[in-house]
Amino acid sequence: MTPDPTPAVEFRAVSRHFGAVRAVDSVDLTIAEGAFFAMLGPSGSGKTTCLRLISGFEKPSAGHILIHGQDVSDVPPNRRNVNTVFQDYALFPHMTVRENVAYGLMVKGVDRRRRRDKAEELLALVKLQGYGDRRPGQLSGGQRQRVALARALINEPRALLLDEPLGALDLKLREAMQDELKALQKRLGITFVFVTHDQHEALSMADSLAVFNEGKIAQIGTPEDVYTRPKSRFVADFVGSSNVLPPKLTRALGGPAAWASLRPESVRLAAVGPVRGTVSAVRYLGAGSRVVLRIGEVEVAAYVPAGDPIPDIGSEASPVFAPAALHVMEG
Amino acid sequence: MPSERASPGLKIAAGAGLAFLHLPILLIFLYAFTTEEKSYQFPPPGLTLKWFAVAWNRADIWPPLWLSLQVAAVSTLIAMVLGTLVAAAMAQSRFFGREQVSLLILLPIALPGVITGMALRSAFSVVDIPFSVWTIILGHATFCIVIVYNNAVARFRRLHGGVLEASADLGANGFQTFGYVLLPNLGSALLAGGMLAFALSFDEVIVTTFTAGQQSTLPIWMLTELVRPRQRPVTNVVAIVVVAMTFLPILAAYYLTRDGEHTAGAGK
Amino acid sequence: MLSDAPAVLPERGPADRLTAVFWRHPRVLLVLLLTPPLLWLGVVYLGSLAALLLQSFYSIDEFSGLVVPEFTLKTYAELFRAQNLDIILRTLTMAVLVTLTSAVIAFPIAYFAARFARGRWKALFYLGVMLPLWSSYLVKVYAWKLILAREGIVTWLAERAGAGPLLGRALDEQWFGGSSLSTSPVGTFIVFVYIWMPYMILPMQAALERVPGSMLEAAADLGASRGQAFRTVILPLALPGIVAGSIFTFSLTLGDYIIPQIIGNSARFIGLAVYQFQGTAGNLPLAAAFAVVPIVIMLVYLAIAKRLGAFDAL
Repeated sequence: MTPDPTPAVEFRAVSRHFGAVRAVDSVDLTIAEGAFFAMLGPSGSGKTTCLRLISGFEKPSAGHILIHGQDVSDVPPNRRNVNTVFQDYALFPHMTVRENVAYGLMVKGVDRRRRRDKAEELLALVKLQGYGDRRPGQLSGGQRQRVALARALINEPRALLLDEPLGALDLKLREAMQDELKALQKRLGITFVFVTHDQHEALSMADSLAVFNEGKIAQIGTPEDVYTRPKSRFVADFVGSSNVLPPKLTRALGGPAAWASLRPESVRLAAVGPVRGTVSAVRYLGAGSRVVLRIGEVEVAAYVPAGDPIPDIGSEASPVFAPAALHVMEG
Repeated sequence: MPSERASPGLKIAAGAGLAFLHLPILLIFLYAFTTEEKSYQFPPPGLTLKWFAVAWNRADIWPPLWLSLQVAAVSTLIAMVLGTLVAAAMAQSRFFGREQVSLLILLPIALPGVITGMALRSAFSVVDIPFSVWTIILGHATFCIVIVYNNAVARFRRLHGGVLEASADLGANGFQTFGYVLLPNLGSALLAGGMLAFALSFDEVIVTTFTAGQQSTLPIWMLTELVRPRQRPVTNVVAIVVVAMTFLPILAAYYLTRDGEHTAGAGK
Repeated sequence: MLSDAPAVLPERGPADRLTAVFWRHPRVLLVLLLTPPLLWLGVVYLGSLAALLLQSFYSIDEFSGLVVPEFTLKTYAELFRAQNLDIILRTLTMAVLVTLTSAVIAFPIAYFAARFARGRWKALFYLGVMLPLWSSYLVKVYAWKLILAREGIVTWLAERAGAGPLLGRALDEQWFGGSSLSTSPVGTFIVFVYIWMPYMILPMQAALERVPGSMLEAAADLGASRGQAFRTVILPLALPGIVAGSIFTFSLTLGDYIIPQIIGNSARFIGLAVYQFQGTAGNLPLAAAFAVVPIVIMLVYLAIAKRLGAFDAL
């Protein structure tokens, strides 16, 4: 299959202001067809507003939104061929599971038989065969989530929008659903746009992601890009467990006088080095240990593989690393 | 811990208060069966069922009953439409003047009925509108709006806003969302509001005396009987009918809205 | 599998077009929703209140008995005649007494329902207040006519208890009685309390439910007795709710004209004056001016209630 050159979703200088608050501030964004795209950011960073701009529940104050190349800025939600899995599912409480799933077909005027068949097909897809006659109130959280998923997929949308879909589930269920969503997306080939504040979720599921901060996109790229080469302190802080080094320390460690990030896995401890620090914490992780060195005001984490000697808390050590591991940031 | 258990004194006071509210109404039922015709003698010298037949055959009761039913039905219908519209607007967005609107809805029932009645009476006189069924309905619908509104707005508040968005998201236009999602979820609250409005209108006398002219609703008929009694036991029978006509809708309204929202009628 | 699906679905007719209009301009929908009810309330209700005010500035021609539609303060001046001032004062006194008594009776019910009733009991209490509140006004008044009648249950009970002569003597007192309780001012008072007291219970209960139990426990920890906790913690915290609840009771007593017509010694109250002036007397302007009195009293009452924080409790 050759990749479709037209992006699934495109933002052109899109802003959404609520009074003086710039929830989304002149955002440019391209989401490739068939991508599993994550919007990651703390609450209030604008990621959910962006999702609602795609579905049409918010209107841009400025700029244009395109779905598959077509400007939808002036198209109401019911005519946009994208569907949403809502954060708390928003299932219709007065309908059965089957009626919920078939709702999108009913409002299109599809006849009852075809609605039923298609709803059963979708219920099978989300592994809920036999649940069609129940009410949403009789289902567990995980099951409700699957119903919401089936309901949003029945119209075969150009893109599926998921608003913190796993937030309400417990940890074990969440991990199982992560794998399942990923597999489903591969199988259907539909573009998934996924909003989350959980960096692990974003990194493990998405094939590209945007990190939001204060209404702007702080960085956009593959998970590896964002994780290993954060563009700014905010991204390094929010996405990773990377060490963030202030310019002075970067220079002392042999780099330029700029903010830099340094992954703990790349740092080893040595008796001699350009900078010395005091071991302030040690955490055993199984395959190795994470050792925190305090250098003045800054803490630098290092990784000590299993088998290597673990320094005592309070002892002194120097961080050493390959020069290529130091990633200089823009700000 | 002193706050965990009610003191006997409190229990007695609360119980006595509730008994004070209920016993007089029960007494009405007893009197409907009394054989005593001329006075309100207690205890009744004997019991009989004949007054029900007498009341049934009294020609002067039926037109007021019919008028009351008509007025209550039409007023309720108008109040349901208007009350739901305001509730929908209040739920839809925060707009300038919200507080004023909710005050305006509450006013007809918060101010004494005599003011509403006298105001309408003045207006009919100033604009020269002759009394008719419609002048009664005009008044009743006005103070019934708040009853429907209270019920509807509580349900709107409880209805998860996401379901309306979900409906639009799945391709429904506004009318489909209204019919398939909003109405089924709002239905029982509207019904409850309607029933309470009906009960309120069916029973209303204070405003009605100002807006009815020479016509007689059932409460006006009763008022005349109370001021100048003709056949007391018949009045007793009518009283039971009125109690039943208002009790049933109230109980129904309570059961329609009982989970969670104790608003049914909280603002009569 | 899906790359041929359109990004935008076609418009399917007027319903879709209208939906788009409402989506683009949410204010249009808001205006459409609000216009009918506001038109109704604005024209019918506010219009009538305006007509009431207008009417009260007219006067009546003493010879022809016709309303003279010219602005004058003459009608308002009539309110200050001794007999009319009497009516206003009597009504106000009654409303205050009824409100205070109602608060005393309503408080234990509201307090018990708010703090001790749970589950089924709570529902039962709720229904126990709602049913009398909603049941027919006239029937309730009528029930009291039966109870207070000379040959009624109160006299019967008094005689049974050997208090018959006592009741008789009390009725002879001029301020208290009449030929029976149902024609005495005390009778009027009792029925006012009975009819308008339930309106106080629910707002009071709501206010009491907002007093956190932990505060009472803190008061108990500090060694406050039950009575002290009540006076120093519950009462001050519940006061806005009590005042909020009293608004309805006070206002409705102020305007009631049916009860004094049926139970009592035919002493006149504001409502009754309004009713009689507009009816048999045919003096619409004076009736209107009288109707303005409770409005003014209520405005003052509401201003005081607002000061006491009652609106936050509603």
